[in-house]
Amino acid sequence: MTAKPKVGVYICHCGINIASTVDVETVEEYAQKLPNVKVARTYSYMCSEPGQVLIKEDIKEQGLNRIVVASCSPRMHEPTFRKAIQEAGLNPYFLEMANIREQCSWVHEDTGEATEKAKKLITASVAKVRLLEALESKEVDAEPAALVIGAGIAGIQAALDIADAGFKTYLVEKTPSVGGRMAQLDKTFPTLDCSACILTPKMVDCASHPNIELLSYSEVEEVGGYIGNFDVKVRKKARYVDFDKCTGCGDCASECRVADRFPSEFDQGMGKRSAIYLPFPQAVPAKYTIDPESCLYLSRGKCGKSPKCQEVCGAGAINFEQEDEFVEFKVGAIIVATGFDPFDASRKPEYGYDDYPNVITGMEMERLVSASGPTGGKVLISNGEEEIEPKEVAFIKCVGSRDESVGNEYCSRVCCMYTAKQAHLIREKLPDANIRIYYMDVRAFGKGYEEFYDRVRRENVRYIRGNPSEIFKRGNKLVVKAEDTLTSTPLEDEVDMVVLGVGLEPRADMRKMMDLLRLSQSPDRFFLEAHPKLRPVDTATDGVFLAGCCQGPKDIPDTVAQAKGAASSALIPLARGKVTIDAQVAEVNETTCRGCGFCVEICPYSAIEMVTVNQFGHEVEVARVNEALCKGCGSCSAACLSDSIQPKSFRDRQILPQIAALGAMK
Amino acid sequence: MDLEKLRETAAEVAAREDVKYLIGWKKGTYGYRVAPGFIEDADGAAELIFSPLCTANLATYLTLVEKLPLPRGEEPDDRKTALMVKGCDSRAVAQLLVEKGIDRENVVVIGCPCPGMVDPELLAEKYPETEEPAEVKWTDDGFIVIRDGEETSVSRDELLAEKCRLCRYPNPVISDIMLGEPVETWEPAEDEGVNEVENKDVDEREAYWEEQFSNCVRCYSCRNVCPLCYCQDCILDRLNPTWVNRSVNFSENTAFNIARAFHLAGRCIECGECERVCPANIPLGKLNRKLAREVRDKYGFEPGLDPEAEPFQASYKPDDPEDFIL
Repeated sequence: MTAKPKVGVYICHCGINIASTVDVETVEEYAQKLPNVKVARTYSYMCSEPGQVLIKEDIKEQGLNRIVVASCSPRMHEPTFRKAIQEAGLNPYFLEMANIREQCSWVHEDTGEATEKAKKLITASVAKVRLLEALESKEVDAEPAALVIGAGIAGIQAALDIADAGFKTYLVEKTPSVGGRMAQLDKTFPTLDCSACILTPKMVDCASHPNIELLSYSEVEEVGGYIGNFDVKVRKKARYVDFDKCTGCGDCASECRVADRFPSEFDQGMGKRSAIYLPFPQAVPAKYTIDPESCLYLSRGKCGKSPKCQEVCGAGAINFEQEDEFVEFKVGAIIVATGFDPFDASRKPEYGYDDYPNVITGMEMERLVSASGPTGGKVLISNGEEEIEPKEVAFIKCVGSRDESVGNEYCSRVCCMYTAKQAHLIREKLPDANIRIYYMDVRAFGKGYEEFYDRVRRENVRYIRGNPSEIFKRGNKLVVKAEDTLTSTPLEDEVDMVVLGVGLEPRADMRKMMDLLRLSQSPDRFFLEAHPKLRPVDTATDGVFLAGCCQGPKDIPDTVAQAKGAASSALIPLARGKVTIDAQVAEVNETTCRGCGFCVEICPYSAIEMVTVNQFGHEVEVARVNEALCKGCGSCSAACLSDSIQPKSFRDRQILPQIAALGAMK
Repeated sequence: MDLEKLRETAAEVAAREDVKYLIGWKKGTYGYRVAPGFIEDADGAAELIFSPLCTANLATYLTLVEKLPLPRGEEPDDRKTALMVKGCDSRAVAQLLVEKGIDRENVVVIGCPCPGMVDPELLAEKYPETEEPAEVKWTDDGFIVIRDGEETSVSRDELLAEKCRLCRYPNPVISDIMLGEPVETWEPAEDEGVNEVENKDVDEREAYWEEQFSNCVRCYSCRNVCPLCYCQDCILDRLNPTWVNRSVNFSENTAFNIARAFHLAGRCIECGECERVCPANIPLGKLNRKLAREVRDKYGFEPGLDPEAEPFQASYKPDDPEDFIL
């Protein structure tokens, strides 16, 4: 039998956040008279050291055994107060938080009504806290290894950091080479470093690092388990090239019967590749891959008398019999760095991207100005009749960003700067060209960005405020129809070339990752972080972290910073070697469980399984909760028809008195 | 249906070593009454019948079996139960399989294609029940009522039960043995009962159900006859916490009936047994069919058609409609 409840109620002013709307003294007086309440106090900041000491001393001196803290959301400070009461010798789960800030003072104006509501919330919390049970959290060993999904700059950086800290890291990349989007860029704003020059050393590092196992041309197929103990299965797609034998000489690609026939993914389709290819010269690993769809032998079963690549490969590396392989391993933490998709400019048909060859996207522009690109860095573009060096160049910003008509309300955060950078690069190459940039706003927020924007303007690049409505053809020119909204002048601007500053979108294939790792999306459809400010790299799934543009558009410095943040977070369970499993999980009443398995189906964390137990000589199936996977969300409880599964601390007998307390009051 | 064939098949099944007993319909003690028959051997099969009076859904007995504690060392009796089913009854079996309420290998399903049952109340009203056993038989276009040695032909429309007028699955959806040829399905009638409730405004609807639920005596017959109400420990019986108070009043009656209806949403197979057994004549069918209609219209799901289906109440799809959720 547990001791009679002696409840302490601690009402926080939160500076003026609560105290300016809720009359905390009245609430304190009221709380003192509630049944089972031994003491009620207010304090300016309950979460501060003196506030916590107040609670701890009362526990010791007044023999309190249940604590109600009336302050902010439990998401904010429940861990703080649990720790505090534990230090005072109480079970940390003997705590209930009444949220009188987010759910009361912040959303109400009338002091009288807000005070009454605060009283209600506290009454309800007192009713519940008396019925809470002591829970013990558990510790399990963590596997000292990490998985990083995606090997763009975010994934590369995160993998390098974890590997440098001394832990085994599996870096899985879907495409044949690491490098991601950054490898496609020419120069980077605002310093104009050559993107490849700063990226390739890191690419090489991650392939040669003794702690990194690079799985390129591979995809994660299955993830099971939980923080500290994830079971991962990866599919290594068949390259049809023996990885160990290939020397990367390239004879196969130049001799391929369909050499340079297929649009190169790396060159955004502006350049061509063969059926057997290396995505780009600096690719890591420098191993060739056969695209089964474009290869004559693999798609049609016949390539001349015998496949040319096989004939010319001195190393004998071509192997058409190769099949997908699967590798399985265990890791303690996972970093998702799957990146973004550039906005598909075809979805803004008014800009004629599909119709005119001289309307290109920012990503295509990167390849066009790149020395390793399809034109060797020369700005040459077809106007539909001939290849010309453009004299009149227009940029349009916010294509697919800040645009409700395509469902993207967010700002893509990089387009302002990359258009400025590309304008600068064109200016360098074509000193006489007339360059103008159509913009809605210019957001040059980063370090050195405003300065760079100023520099570009001084380089005779015109910024015209206005969002073009249409692009059409007149003779061999393109006409950009717009309004200069600063002077209210309608424009029909004749140009040779238009660069669409396309934004960043969540990857089209992100659903697979969401299902694998139980991730959610924020309203902008990028992956949702655990807390927008305080847990920006964490996810709702413990042990899974986010890095880079998969969480939202960002530039390279922010991506690297977030990758390092994700690496440091992932290193916590790895370095500690153990993970603590929260005790507030669901529990099954095996005697009433009817074994229907509804909870198994509905659990978003796959935390429940059916087990066979012997009940008085009968083998029966009942549900059982894996405490390491359970988040205590309560979905199972809602689905259970016989009320046989309930989250601890949120059992019916605990929350019904809470509800009753709310309902009983006037 | 050929009664000889039915009895012959039943005798064979009941005689099987791996079958504990066969549950079918047999004549009751008087008038039109039909009782469940638990046939343990071949001889017992001679009692079995299948007629327009076999309204009862026998699937409910599958989950009523009590698993008494076994003395140490004794093996549980894991022989199969054989069950005779109409179309609607077979849907209960399929839904029980979805919910793992029963194991497929523990049942032998004997399917009886069903031309439609008579409404027992309509029948008793027009052709009052006798002390002597009476019978109803199918004809090509209706029924023959045989009572006091007198045969009366009756049209199908006159006596067909409401659930059968609405029926979309007269042939068993799942069976191990099928008796006879499948019947030709008929165009189901428009569900006027549910339409009528739907067309009421909120106040009228509340008044309607208040009147109905006020009659409830909380005998729990509906729950006990329902093949899909089989929790060993029903939450409506719990005392801690007390979800539904035992007092019989409008508020608690409503809580009971609504809770039961919600627990059956996406599970009810519309056999109509709850309404048939209700001593207070509460139109429970309307309540359950309304929820079934919602589930069908909103989610395109019908329970009890596919024993491999994902249970509706536990399934989630990202594109599930949610515009009607407040």
